[in-house]
Amino acid sequence: MRILIVGDGKVGHTLAEELISEGHNVVIIDRNDDVVRKADDMLDAMCIHGNGANAKTLLDANVDKADIVVAATASDETNMLCCLIAKRLGAKYTIARIRDPEYNESLTLLQHELGLDMTINPERATALEISQLLRFPYASDIETFAKGHVELVAFRAQEGDVIVGHPLKELPARHPTLPRVLYCAVERDGAVTIPNGDFVIRVGDLVHVAGEPVTVTNFFRVMGRNAKRVKNVMLLGGGRISYYLARLLSPAGIHVTMFEINEEKAATLSELLPHVDVIAGDGTDQELLEQENITGMDAFISLSDRDEENLMTGLYAQQLGVQKVVVKNNRLAYNGVINSLGIDSLVSPRIITCNMLLRYVRARVNGGGTSVEKLYKLVDGKAEALEFIARKGDPYIGVPLKELDVRRGTLVAIILHKGKVIIPFGNDVIQAGDSVVIIANTSGITDLNEVIRR
Amino acid sequence: MNILLLLKLIGSILLVEGAAMLPALVISLLYGGSDAMAFVWTILILCAVGLPLRLLCKPEQNNLRAKEGFLAVALSWVLLSIFGALPFVFSGMIPNFIDALFEAVSGFTTTGASILTQIEGNPHGVMFWRSFTHWIGGMGVLVLTLALLPQMGGRTSHLVRAESPGPTLSKIAPKMGDTAKILYLVYGVLTLLNWLALLLAGMNPYDAAIHALGTAGTGGFSNYAASVGHFNSVWIEAITTFFMVVFGVNFVLYFKLVTGSWREGLRNEELRWYLGIYVGITLLLTLVILPTSDGGTFLNSLRYASFQAASLMSTTGYATADFNLWPAAAKMLLLLVMFTGSCAGSTAGGMKICRIGMLTKQGIREVRRTFQPRKVQVVRFEGKGVEESVLSQVAVFAFMYILLILLGAMLISLDGVHADFETNITAAITCVSNVGPGFGAVGPMGSFAGYSAYSKLILSFLMLAGRLEIFPLLALFHPAIWRR
Repeated sequence: MRILIVGDGKVGHTLAEELISEGHNVVIIDRNDDVVRKADDMLDAMCIHGNGANAKTLLDANVDKADIVVAATASDETNMLCCLIAKRLGAKYTIARIRDPEYNESLTLLQHELGLDMTINPERATALEISQLLRFPYASDIETFAKGHVELVAFRAQEGDVIVGHPLKELPARHPTLPRVLYCAVERDGAVTIPNGDFVIRVGDLVHVAGEPVTVTNFFRVMGRNAKRVKNVMLLGGGRISYYLARLLSPAGIHVTMFEINEEKAATLSELLPHVDVIAGDGTDQELLEQENITGMDAFISLSDRDEENLMTGLYAQQLGVQKVVVKNNRLAYNGVINSLGIDSLVSPRIITCNMLLRYVRARVNGGGTSVEKLYKLVDGKAEALEFIARKGDPYIGVPLKELDVRRGTLVAIILHKGKVIIPFGNDVIQAGDSVVIIANTSGITDLNEVIRR
Repeated sequence: MNILLLLKLIGSILLVEGAAMLPALVISLLYGGSDAMAFVWTILILCAVGLPLRLLCKPEQNNLRAKEGFLAVALSWVLLSIFGALPFVFSGMIPNFIDALFEAVSGFTTTGASILTQIEGNPHGVMFWRSFTHWIGGMGVLVLTLALLPQMGGRTSHLVRAESPGPTLSKIAPKMGDTAKILYLVYGVLTLLNWLALLLAGMNPYDAAIHALGTAGTGGFSNYAASVGHFNSVWIEAITTFFMVVFGVNFVLYFKLVTGSWREGLRNEELRWYLGIYVGITLLLTLVILPTSDGGTFLNSLRYASFQAASLMSTTGYATADFNLWPAAAKMLLLLVMFTGSCAGSTAGGMKICRIGMLTKQGIREVRRTFQPRKVQVVRFEGKGVEESVLSQVAVFAFMYILLILLGAMLISLDGVHADFETNITAAITCVSNVGPGFGAVGPMGSFAGYSAYSKLILSFLMLAGRLEIFPLLALFHPAIWRR
């Protein structure tokens, strides 16, 4: 596919890298000369210097032949204008990043009038992800598949967990009460394994399990992890993510305390968010944190602009015994280091945005094939969970799994048949119209036929 | 430094060279195969070296940084020439290895300078290989490797940038591999057209192939001592003139022509400079040689002048007349176009027209700055302002180019074989510009055979430096590039 990315920023660049590695033809437009030159050196893509909202630049980039245009410049207005022009010039699909809360109010109207096929608000998407994490405090990561019928939850194995220390195949015999979930992937020392029956989980492993929501909830209950519901949350930083997050949490009856160092901004936030305690002060100040009763919090979420500050305050909160700590980290490279410090829940708006975009692109790859419905990156993208819809006429339909050839390093995790979740074993079959979730330790899978052969 | 990746890349390139010898092997077998074993042995040696490198080197990272990219380009050109010289030695056509190396370098760099004193009567296969090196060297071996082995992926732009002529690189397709494929497709189609045209003009298929390859790569090897002049046919000369001019144009323009944006293609500033300079020099040359034995009538004079101007400007180096005997004014005109060369992104050598254009405009700007120092002046080329960093790079390139010529000429005159100034300086110019013939003893009817082995090595270096546009080759000699 031909994909035009306007704006080679953090998101644009990561997206381009990912798309190129999947074999797409990528064209990048950026207004900054240096950025273009650097991108030209780093990426196997055509890089054009110019304003992405200028019709001539867009035509230079062959926008008329582009399948998807992604506008991810720093300015919402440029993004909208760029998509509008691109669509008029013949681009098939357009995606704009629109992050200003004010535009968010009239998003449906804008989307319709500008012919946008998708809008992305990284901050809002991040806030949504965090709010989900708070609803399941035992999980360091959570994702839903098959319209909410399946949940994929990541958590760190602790001392005393019943799943630790025995081969997976012995678990049902040892603990008959433990609900059957699927162990999809385990990360240990930075390497990802897709476990088989002989695999033994150790303390400190990051385990991904999947199953129906009820089953998963029960699983954690039996494990003794169903800690009390989060009621009090502390937010560091009054940026856009914090704003969206507060708007999501307050109606759910969760009390939010928010730190914002800029007094003017704090006043505006207080006006916009009447149910939130906005504290005008430095959220990294330990005394202030204690004054606002950090020890009484169920969750601490650091969302300031500085990754280092987020990390340090997060570690401090963890040390004080706050049950759930979420840290925003925009620089991907350090995720491994941070995980080793014991902070499990890292969110990166960049990765979240990229995943959303990739999912969209993959869903439009090879129109005839079984396309990716949903994509979710596990452990820094070292493994992926993908959801497909099985198409009528594919060779694997109706054949028991044990007779099929499944590619190495991939796992057919879940089959959703008519709303019923099946954790597949050798005798199960995939039928047309089923949702199939695949776990793979390679990226770039675009079709179910690539993975399952007769 | 990622040595394993570098070795793997070089292995791939050697394998591609082995594959490139197959057409010559086929030709050799068609004509009796007296030289077939020379190719069989060379291909076996290339596989013996290339396969282990490609298969056994498993680099941990596939990141090709600028450093490895430049090293890969420089080293692979040196190795290509060394291995490419083997068929000459094995077949006994050029028994001396240094001579064979000179011939191979001259082939790959599309120079066309030869040490052969006896050109007719050599085996067909080796002579075909000699011309075929022009063809692959013209567009670039790494570009070919990229087109054939796209899985090299990633950051290959360094490679192509180091290998393709011109100050900036324009991609046609988002992927470098696709760009390489398109370039070779355009190249192949144009070469085929040239071959067909020569066939129609009455050449036999073998001669037509030799001359089409020589023209396409802007190299200039012929299988006749009298070069294109041997045929003494106006048609063949006209066709060759046309195609020499065609292959001096940026190939991206042909792609634009085909894909419909021909208006944009014709508006290209470099193309207009190129054609302007060509027409101007041709007309002046026609007038200058009018009184000589190659002149007489205006049309006759135009016939030789247009051919010679196209041949030297496109840095091909074919001859239809012994221009060494022309008056000094004619030689000076030819010397000028040997310097300028043709467009960036073509197969030609020389300094490249766009650099000449930028330098000229920069010169005018400096003149104006002396009396109007505060005026802001942007050098515009192709309708866009050129960045100062590109301008200074172009200026440094021009300086290095001239320095290389002067140093080279000085070093080969130490040899003392050719006592005259004209021979030595034009030998250096013609090698750096990848033209082929110079004046004096190295003129169109002469050869480089007289030089000592020492001078041949120096001249080989100059040819490689000229083809790779100096910096990648000089990078080999910078100590920092070898540091870990």
